Amino acid sequence: MLSVLRARPAARAAVIAAYVLLAGWTRVLFSSAPQAAAPVLVIGGVALAVTAIGWGPARLGLGTSHLALRVVGGCALAVALLLPAATRASAAPLLPLSLALPAVVVSIGEEVAFRGALYAALEDLGGARLAIVGGTALWTASHALSHPPEFLLAVAAAGLLLAIWRWACNDLVAPIIGHVIADLAL
Amino acid sequence: MKRAALLGAAVIIYVSVAWSLAPGFYDGFAPQQPYNWVCPPFHISANLPPSSGHLDIKVIGGVSDANSAFTDDGQVVVGFLPGAFDVTGKTSIAIDIKPVDPCPKPASLTVVTNAYLITADAPLVKPANLVLRYSDVVPAPSTLYYAVSADGPWTSIGAGSEAQPFTINTRTSKFGYFVAGYPAGAVSSGGLRTQILPIAVALLIIGVLVAGIPLAILRRRQAAPPDDEETGEAEP
Repeated sequence: MLSVLRARPAARAAVIAAYVLLAGWTRVLFSSAPQAAAPVLVIGGVALAVTAIGWGPARLGLGTSHLALRVVGGCALAVALLLPAATRASAAPLLPLSLALPAVVVSIGEEVAFRGALYAALEDLGGARLAIVGGTALWTASHALSHPPEFLLAVAAAGLLLAIWRWACNDLVAPIIGHVIADLAL
Repeated sequence: MKRAALLGAAVIIYVSVAWSLAPGFYDGFAPQQPYNWVCPPFHISANLPPSSGHLDIKVIGGVSDANSAFTDDGQVVVGFLPGAFDVTGKTSIAIDIKPVDPCPKPASLTVVTNAYLITADAPLVKPANLVLRYSDVVPAPSTLYYAVSADGPWTSIGAGSEAQPFTINTRTSKFGYFVAGYPAGAVSSGGLRTQILPIAVALLIIGVLVAGIPLAILRRRQAAPPDDEETGEAEP
């Protein structure tokens, strides 16, 4: 199955796109059940991370070169993502402690799926421009059930920022770090 | 330079868009629906009034049916087991949930939800499960409080494990006034974190500058021309 998809970039991109959307929407629908939020979020995050199967670490942007810079870059991304909320701290939402671990798992899963596997598949299909624009569109669509409509533009802007970092720096470590810190804080 | 410029532009776009949202953009796990306040906190500009709720529970074979009463905005849910009421002389039980206006302001506790008056025309014989949703822009409450009158005194009736994010629940054997909050003077874990967020971001900025600038300079010195952008093999 994986070898068949490897030979057909369009089919591979379509399968990954459909899978990440399905996984994201399913997670949202089931996480509202009583007592289900934490386990469903963890399972949903792991389900997204499954998309990494079949890709080498370097192709996902998970190389280890310049690791210190990648970590610092992740902190810089976290600053950018948190700045609007931090400057109006009295209105910042508060993540319950029980959701800290699920937030970490979901953040890593989303980055691996969207800026990792989906980005690589779309880049193979149509280059970096398609990877950035297509990946951001799917990222926004995957959040359509979990965020109010007025938030979706900001969701898209966050996805665009992370995707441009992925392209500009050929790096997924910083988006993972930035996303994890941002989700833990909010 | 093109990559750096696009990255900078993406940061500006994100911060501008996120800043324009009230009460502020966040990713993750917050409730979709804003909390409807009787007395909104000072930083909430857009607010809708909270809803009331009504339920008629049928009495079948001398036993009240299982059912849940809730407000139309879902901010209060009260669940009843079969036989939860003393149904003597009743064919149905009426339950009403109403937000209390004006808002109680007890000195002994910090209230973080609306106060609700829950009434029924029959007494409970089995505890009901009470769930109050709270806003994601206020510190999390530590317990639910009960009072016979809106003027108090307010008594803690505890809180169970959090069944869903941004909800607090407990069991009650009485009807009356209910709010969620925490003792006055206590520091809610949520409130502490709210204060920590700007400090954490400031520390991150300092960390990025202290660690990032020397790393970037070191990398510039080590890099051989042509630079990364021209080869298309950019790295951080």
